[in-house]
Amino acid sequence: MAPTPEEHPNKAAFLLRVRSALGRTEPIVHMPDHPSLKSNAMRQQEKVRTIVARNEARRSPTLDRLARTAAAASWNVRRAGDAEEAASIVAEIAQQSGVKNLVRSAEDVFKRVNIDTALRSVGVSPAILASGRSRSRGALRDMAFRADMGVTGVSYAIAETASCAVIPRKGVARLASLAPPRLILLIEPEQVLETLDDFFAVTRLNRMQARGRATNYFNFISGPSRTADIEQTLTIGVHGPGEVHMVILG
Amino acid sequence: MAEVKSAEFKKASGRALRDEKLQHALEHVMEHFVGARANIIESDFGDESWESMRTRAAAIKQSTLEHLDYYLDMVDKSVRRNGGHVYFADDAAQANAIVLDIAKRNGVKTVIKSKSMVSEEMGVNHILEREGIEPVETDLGEYIIQLAGETPFHIIAPAMHKTRQEVSSLFQEWLKTAPTQDIKRLCVYARDALREKFAAADMGISGANFVVAETGTVCLVTNEGNGRMTTSAPRIHVVLAGMEKIVPAIEDLALFLRLLPRSATGQRITSYNTFVGGPRAPSDEDGPEEFHLVFVDNGRLNLLRDEVMREALRCIRCGACLNHCPVYQKIGGHAYGWVYSGPIGAVVTPPMTNMKVARDLPYASTLCGTCKDVCPVKIDIPRLLLHLRHKVAEGALGERSTTWMERLFVGQWHGAMRNRRALEGKANLGRLLTRPFARGGKVRKLPFAPMVSGWTASRDFPAPAPKSFARLWREELAQDNVHPNGMEQR
Ligand code: SF4
Repeated sequence: MAPTPEEHPNKAAFLLRVRSALGRTEPIVHMPDHPSLKSNAMRQQEKVRTIVARNEARRSPTLDRLARTAAAASWNVRRAGDAEEAASIVAEIAQQSGVKNLVRSAEDVFKRVNIDTALRSVGVSPAILASGRSRSRGALRDMAFRADMGVTGVSYAIAETASCAVIPRKGVARLASLAPPRLILLIEPEQVLETLDDFFAVTRLNRMQARGRATNYFNFISGPSRTADIEQTLTIGVHGPGEVHMVILG
Repeated sequence: MAEVKSAEFKKASGRALRDEKLQHALEHVMEHFVGARANIIESDFGDESWESMRTRAAAIKQSTLEHLDYYLDMVDKSVRRNGGHVYFADDAAQANAIVLDIAKRNGVKTVIKSKSMVSEEMGVNHILEREGIEPVETDLGEYIIQLAGETPFHIIAPAMHKTRQEVSSLFQEWLKTAPTQDIKRLCVYARDALREKFAAADMGISGANFVVAETGTVCLVTNEGNGRMTTSAPRIHVVLAGMEKIVPAIEDLALFLRLLPRSATGQRITSYNTFVGGPRAPSDEDGPEEFHLVFVDNGRLNLLRDEVMREALRCIRCGACLNHCPVYQKIGGHAYGWVYSGPIGAVVTPPMTNMKVARDLPYASTLCGTCKDVCPVKIDIPRLLLHLRHKVAEGALGERSTTWMERLFVGQWHGAMRNRRALEGKANLGRLLTRPFARGGKVRKLPFAPMVSGWTASRDFPAPAPKSFARLWREELAQDNVHPNGMEQR
């Protein structure tokens, strides 16, 4: 592991000035009273257990809520009864959009949902957007920018806001869900959480358990890329995908 | 640092008022923002729970400010644990030097920028250009004003004052694209031009909407995807953050992500939220190899030091106070003369820049209080404006700022208000003196006494009623056979 970067030389003087502006002379030693900061790993685990249990008990209404908020946020929502149906929905969307260059990530969900076969049957051959041995950084970027559709899984989906939490890692490039103008996200029922609070409580626990090997980066994707910067007129698809599809299993 | 032109406030607002095109744009946009915000709050929460969310958010931010040295230290440790670098810059010049140093060390030629108000304060684009490094704004609105060579008109809609024709001719000039009236087309032109920059850039600069102390996570809120591009495509990512951007815990984000987009654009959430706390892991497919977080003071200490003004640092830059402000709605953002405009701009600009130069700004308010009511972190903006006015009037700027005429008038006023007879006498005198100048119930121009004529130079004064209230009261009561002390006479 790389060594921890050094402290900035101005840090001590800067903090001293802040402290004296606040009318104190001594640094604070005890953590200020802030409930969500104080809960330790054990208490957090307890909290998350309750969250998970509640989400399991309310799965079906939560999936319905996700479908509703997503539609309101301009997602094209499709629900699939099983993996096979999900794969054929992906193929159908790709075909309808006349896609030529489709990239996908390398995630576990594609072991269950075999989109490759379904796509080939409609004449689209998917490529995996990962660096592997032969692909350089630039080559990966070019490939992502050339693609006209990206397909990836998610780590979590939040029903409250129709936000899909995508955590890039080995096999999941950041650009896969960003560069192509069309995006399909596959969501499995166990990944869906009711609220933002649920998500951040789970994320906090995950970090605590990762012991310094936690991911430094994740995104919420909550709808199509949009702008209203010219004359307050809503326009879809600026830097990110303008056409977004959510395929929910279940 | 970006030039402070707030001394021009009166002249610039006059110009804005006479600009018909601008007035039209302002009306249109403000209506949209105000309506969208009200609708989403009502449909998702209702007034009561929205109010309790605001109270909680205000308390969290205030407590963070009261312990700011502690939390800055916590962020520093968290980010460095994640493998990122953290810097502390006292002012714009120091912050610029830090950015420039990172860029030069890495041989950077092109920098892509995701919206950052701090970078506007710093004027970093200028500094980079001078060294032959090309900075490119990637938020569409920021890109437009960069091409036009202007400053943001609004915190979250920087180019709202530009028409499609103006954007088209800017693109024609700079991107050599064909003229068009089609907004969608204009977006495609910008997208294509910026794609090239994304692919070429070695460094990305972003702002920070929130910085989480316990995890070192910087949260970016965008709609276009440029924030994601900036944190994905280049090899180096630099974050510029005002030192007040901290929230203590990652779970606090749930609350703030509910408040910010609803207050800003009336959205339930923006299309993208990016959470980044360090460089990519070696096993990641892509992403920056270096992560730098620069905390900037640049005058914020002046707000922190003053116990009354401190709460201004709770601001999450949502823009709601601008959208709802009757003054901003008429004069727009440029008149305020620096980076921040509207009510919060009037509050922070004088202490952050120069009290003398920006002394007119605290008066750019009717004190109607709407800003305070819509603020997601409950900043009592009217109170802060009064505090600043007090400072200006008290001559905290090293000079007496009131005229002798004003002092004389206030002295007389003071005397009159303490004595009913004296007040009535003065009111009658006023009635006599102003009556000859009244037309259609309004006094449009008062010629005598420099101070009084100044009052009517930019607004009308309602003509005094022929009879005073006190007199009417007495007469009516006499008719009804009621004694002026309220007791019916028997
Ligand atoms: S002062 Fe309040 S309403 Fe105004 S921009 Fe800041 S957070 Fe928003």
